[in-house]
Amino acid sequence: MQRGYPRIRFQKKLDRLKEEVDTMGQATLNAYRDAFSTFIEYDPELVKNVMETNKKVHEMGYQIEHNAMSIIAAEQPVAGDLRFIEASIKVSSHLKRICGLASNIAEVARHVKDEEIPEKPMFDLQRMADIVDGMVSKSLAAFLAKNMNVARELHRDDDKVDDLFDHALKEITKSMFQDKESISYSIYLLFLARFLERIADRAENIGDRTIFMITCEKQQFTLEKKQE
Amino acid sequence: MEYRIEVENLNVYFDELHILKDISLQIPKNAVTSLIGPSGCGKSTFIRTLNRMNDMISTFKMDGTVLLDGEDIYNPKVDVVELRKKVGMVFQKPNPFPKSIFDNVAYGLRVHGISDKDYLAQKVEESLKAAALWDEVKNILDKSAMGLSGGQQQRLCIARTIAVEPEVILMDEPCSALDPISTTKIEDLIHKLKNDFTIIIVTHNMQQATRVSKYTAFFLHGEIVESGLTEKIFIEPEDKRTEDYITGRFG
Repeated sequence: MQRGYPRIRFQKKLDRLKEEVDTMGQATLNAYRDAFSTFIEYDPELVKNVMETNKKVHEMGYQIEHNAMSIIAAEQPVAGDLRFIEASIKVSSHLKRICGLASNIAEVARHVKDEEIPEKPMFDLQRMADIVDGMVSKSLAAFLAKNMNVARELHRDDDKVDDLFDHALKEITKSMFQDKESISYSIYLLFLARFLERIADRAENIGDRTIFMITCEKQQFTLEKKQE
Repeated sequence: MEYRIEVENLNVYFDELHILKDISLQIPKNAVTSLIGPSGCGKSTFIRTLNRMNDMISTFKMDGTVLLDGEDIYNPKVDVVELRKKVGMVFQKPNPFPKSIFDNVAYGLRVHGISDKDYLAQKVEESLKAAALWDEVKNILDKSAMGLSGGQQQRLCIARTIAVEPEVILMDEPCSALDPISTTKIEDLIHKLKNDFTIIIVTHNMQQATRVSKYTAFFLHGEIVESGLTEKIFIEPEDKRTEDYITGRFG
């Protein structure tokens, strides 16, 4: 059998699609980092950056969908190529949502900029944010490198985030009871915790799409866990 | 699942050339099975083995068994004309006879000794209707078939094949010489015909295989690399060689 790859243009289109998902992922990750950073130390420039990146990431998402459809129409991909293209569309949609949640965090940062945040809940939130940061990076790396092991790690990471989320809720509620004055901004802390938890779910979803792309296996684990 | 054709350990040689190597394949009843693979991989030789068309080649040798409804078609007692009535064939290029449209469809019936004019007329109409050609030719049945378009000629050949009520229809790249509209008509026809016939189609068009067939077998160098549900083969092939071929990664 003569080996080689005559569909060079097709391969180039696939490579370009992958690069686009990578670029979108990096922009999303930066938006998330900026958003959390401005939450800790308010910086109006960073808030502006996050909002602008969110718009760009939305555009990138539509561009990826458009390019994916154009490859499907022109090249009629099958098997692994088709699964990669389908996964790219799904992953870009999760990235769009992650970036949207990052902009929600930046929005919350505006409301709490002059408040002093109680130490205990903030400790959990900071740990959550660190794990979520790692999860977004890992999910992107797993998808781009088609790495099942890294994709699977996301389940464990998400469990940790969920535990921290539950703990943070308790701490925030406790601080609300202890200091009624704090309720107005503690509500925003609840929002923050929720946004972080949602981003972790989306990163886990990207991992699941990656596993599906490689094996065609549904991740029952995630589905069952969410129903509990 | 019920199988119409069961091929076991089939080896085909032309002189010293080993064309088909230890092929085992079961063809389900009343379904469409696609045979895909690069040129020269043995697909056409394989389908020609199913109605003993290779017998006409003097250098042809084979071993293994080919069962049609459980009967060995290479049993010396088998009447080849009767076999070809049961296993009809449609070729790559439409090949109508230089006769009228009516006579083309009636040809096989007459070969099998039917001369009753009313019966012939009824069978010709039924066959042309089944081949989705009746409305286009009902007023020109006595005109030469050579005047029809390529797509119409191919449907005429399908009508001629189904007139003798075969059990199996073999199609060797039936759309490769046709434009997209005629191809769509033939594909629609294949969908309709599968209710009554077992269809085996050789195609180089991957999308056609995914559109028309429930089952697919991938041939390479005279062997079957992978066979099974078409959906499985085109979304999640098991063998790397299948994936390489269907995604165009063969040089």
